[in-house]
Amino acid sequence: MPLGTLDRTPPPFFRQGPSALSKLTVCSALAVFLMVADARFNMTQPLRAVIASVLYPLQWLVLQPTASVRNAAGYFQSLRAAQRSEEQAHLKLGLQSQKANQVEQLLLENTQLRSLLELRERVTAQSLVAQVLYDSADPFSRKVVVDKGLVDGVGAGSPVIDAAGVLGQVTRVYTAVSEVTLLTDRDQAIPVLNTRTGARGVAFGDPAVHGGGLELRFMAGNSDVLAGDLLSTSGVDGVYPPGLPVARVDRVERRVDSAFARIYLHPEALVSGTAHVMILKPVTAQITARPPADMPAAVGKKALKK
Amino acid sequence: MIMRQGQQLLLPANPFFIWGTLLAGLLVNMLQNMGLWGNAAWVPDVLAIVLAFWSVHQPLRVGIGMAFVLGLCLDVHQGGLLGAHALAYTMLSFLAIAIHRRLLWFSVPSQAAQVLPLFFVAQVIELVAQMLGGGAFPGVQMFLAPVIQSLLWPVISVLLLAPQRRAPDRDANRPL
Repeated sequence: MPLGTLDRTPPPFFRQGPSALSKLTVCSALAVFLMVADARFNMTQPLRAVIASVLYPLQWLVLQPTASVRNAAGYFQSLRAAQRSEEQAHLKLGLQSQKANQVEQLLLENTQLRSLLELRERVTAQSLVAQVLYDSADPFSRKVVVDKGLVDGVGAGSPVIDAAGVLGQVTRVYTAVSEVTLLTDRDQAIPVLNTRTGARGVAFGDPAVHGGGLELRFMAGNSDVLAGDLLSTSGVDGVYPPGLPVARVDRVERRVDSAFARIYLHPEALVSGTAHVMILKPVTAQITARPPADMPAAVGKKALKK
Repeated sequence: MIMRQGQQLLLPANPFFIWGTLLAGLLVNMLQNMGLWGNAAWVPDVLAIVLAFWSVHQPLRVGIGMAFVLGLCLDVHQGGLLGAHALAYTMLSFLAIAIHRRLLWFSVPSQAAQVLPLFFVAQVIELVAQMLGGGAFPGVQMFLAPVIQSLLWPVISVLLLAPQRRAPDRDANRPL
């Protein structure tokens, strides 16, 4: 048997490097520092971006078999399911065509009224269609990863919607992908407007509910909220365009021991299992900045000098 | 070096194989997340098993520094609190190195029972870090993950030791 064929070698006596305990201390301290920097000061985004760029080829590699399996499964979906969905689509179309005709009329009326009142044209949001790649693996939060990133012009803070309503907000942007925090995440809040009464409020994510929900907080115990009310974005935050459906009131608990009612909401958007989303530009980015206040005075001075 | 009676003499481990398996562990974790189970809390962390395995078998090659770096990579992939997995893996690797001389004297099923507390400690560290960082509790089923990981230990042991169990002198009857 030649030399060097056995794994059993005596451990080195002198060349041992730092002890395991000192390595543990250094690495733990570094990890704790990173966690504090991440959670408290939000300083770790550059480091994250660098590691994410390194990991991106690996993620792309793993996504290929996943996507192909998903495509194959979709391909072999039965004809019956396709027919059924077509039937439903026809029904929905029939229901909606009536509304669509009304919308035409309402739009016309609206434009006339607006021009009459000399209102500024309502801001139209610029949008970007993206595909959901996968749910973020972190079980402690509710996030998804979409396939548009810095190179496509996505900015952190952009609202994200799907066909049914508001889905969430872009919270981290990497080179080719970005992370969307869903409305049901614990840290996510959205200003809403009750479309029935016009009362404004703030809805917070509530992941404890099965499947994820929202909670309308700080509404008085006797406030006019009923199960089934539709809440839409109010537009006062300057992030979400007004009028997008957010959630429907699931149930209302009015308690004697609390000044506030507990209001549970169910999100309108398909928060889990949505495939295509639309990333909008935040509304504040489109509103032109207010001209500086001292401009007329400066003009006046110049005029005086001349 | 003193060995348990009846234990097989092993070939030296190939460093490229060690790094390759660690990378494969990371890829399997990503695959579980992207394709199979999404962000379910009970999903076993394959990278943690591979890391603990090499920390026990090759503590001079795979150590705490490597565990820290891999933890950071997993943190960035998952998008959670940066450093939570790094801290958990650092502790896991340290504990694995601390018991590595004793552990190899036991049979593989017995080893699986003894690494269960290690995985459990790593999971609890991650839970505490994430909760302090403002995460929501993902549910009790997250404590299923260490159990599954410990059940996977014998499988991983067989797979990762297979190249070292090859014959030192190959011939027509033993081609591998």
